[in-house]
Amino acid sequence: MVIKDTFKDIVDMLAELKDTSELMVDLAYSSILLNNKELAQEVATLEEHVDDLHTKFELLVLTRCISPQESKDYLGLIRLGVVTEKIADAAMQIAGVVLRGLQPHPVLKLAIKEAEETVVHAHVSKKSPLVGKTLREAQVHEETGMWVLCIKRADKWIRPKPDTVIEAGDQFIASGYAEGADDLKRLTNAEKRMK
Amino acid sequence: MHGLDKLEYKPISVRDLLVEMKDLSELMIDLAYSAALFNSRPLAEEVIEMERRVDNLAYQLDMSAMLAAKSPRDAESLVAVSVVASAADKISDAAGDIAGIVIREIGIHPIVREAFEKVEEHLTRVEIQKGSVWANKTLHELELAPKMGVDVIAIRRDKEFIINPEKDELVLEGDIVIARGAPLGIEEFERLAGRTMPAGRS
Repeated sequence: MVIKDTFKDIVDMLAELKDTSELMVDLAYSSILLNNKELAQEVATLEEHVDDLHTKFELLVLTRCISPQESKDYLGLIRLGVVTEKIADAAMQIAGVVLRGLQPHPVLKLAIKEAEETVVHAHVSKKSPLVGKTLREAQVHEETGMWVLCIKRADKWIRPKPDTVIEAGDQFIASGYAEGADDLKRLTNAEKRMK
Repeated sequence: MHGLDKLEYKPISVRDLLVEMKDLSELMIDLAYSAALFNSRPLAEEVIEMERRVDNLAYQLDMSAMLAAKSPRDAESLVAVSVVASAADKISDAAGDIAGIVIREIGIHPIVREAFEKVEEHLTRVEIQKGSVWANKTLHELELAPKMGVDVIAIRRDKEFIINPEKDELVLEGDIVIARGAPLGIEEFERLAGRTMPAGRS
C-alpha cells in the first residue's frame, strides 16, 4: 500500500536524520581533538547528505494528505526534522575550525578531553577478540559504553554499520564516557596508546 | 517569552565554561528527545531552563575569550574556541526547539515513536516499584554503565528532577528513571527495572 510505504519512509528518514546529526557532532569534536582534516571533511560530506535528506523528508511529509486534526502532529514532525538539520549545521561549524586551518587554542582540546563524553582512538590488534566479528556481534557499546563513530582501515574511513566486519589493524574512533575508554582499549587490545 | 538575565563579567576560565557548555548541550538533546517521546512537559521545562543557562555561559565565554586575547595570534586561536562554543549554543537551542514542541502542545506524531525504535541510541523511562531490588541503591552500585552501557540522564522524584545525577545518587521507591543506551542494554535495563512507563502522561 502506497500510504503505508510513505509512513515507513518518513520513519526511516527521521531515524537517519537523528542518528546522522548526532554522529556529526561527535565526529566534529573528534576532528578538533585529533586535528584531522579527513574527519572534518567527513562532517562536511554528511552535512550535504543531511541537507538532501531533510529536503526529501519535508517533501514526503507535505505530500501526505493531512486532515486538520492531524496537522499539529505533522507540524511537530516537521519541526523535529528542522532540529536535526540545525544540529548538523552546528557540527559543520565545529568541523569548519579544522577545515579552515585555524590553530585552536590549547584550552579547546583540553575542554573536549575533559568533557563527560570524550573521544578516543583505539587500535584493534591481531589478538583482539573483536577481530572477525561484525559490529553487531561485537556489542562494543554494551561491553564498554563507547560508540564506534568511525573506523580507519588502511587509508580509508569507514562509517560503521552493524554488519561491518572488524579487521586487525582497524582504528576505531569512539565516543563515550571517559571510564569506557579503558574498557574499549582493553577490548581492542591496544598495543600502544595513541596520543 | 522570558525576561533575559542580566549579565556581568565573572572570572571563570574559558576551559570550564566550554566543558560545561559541551556537556549541557549534549545532555539537553537527549533530555529534549525524552521529553518529546514521553510527552513530559515538566522535563521540557527543565530543558528550557538549561537552554537559558547555556545562553548565559556563551556570553561569559566570549567575554573571557576577549580578555584573553593580547595579540593577533591569540585572537586567531581564541576565535576557534568562540566558534565551537557558539556551535554548542546552537545545539542547546536545537534542544530548546524540541522542548518547545512539547510545551506548545504541538503534538508528537506516532511516526516519531516508531522512528525512535530504529535509532542507534534508545531512550527509556522506568518507575522504581515498591520493594524493587533497585530501591535504596546508588547508581554506582547498580553498575548500569559498566554492565549494560546504560546511563541515567534524569530522575524524577516527587515533582523535582535530578538532572544528570551523580554516581552516589540513591534510587528510591517511586522514582522515575530516564536512561539512554544501546538497544540491547536498554532492553536489559527495562527487564531488570521491572516496569516501564507507558508513553503519555508524566
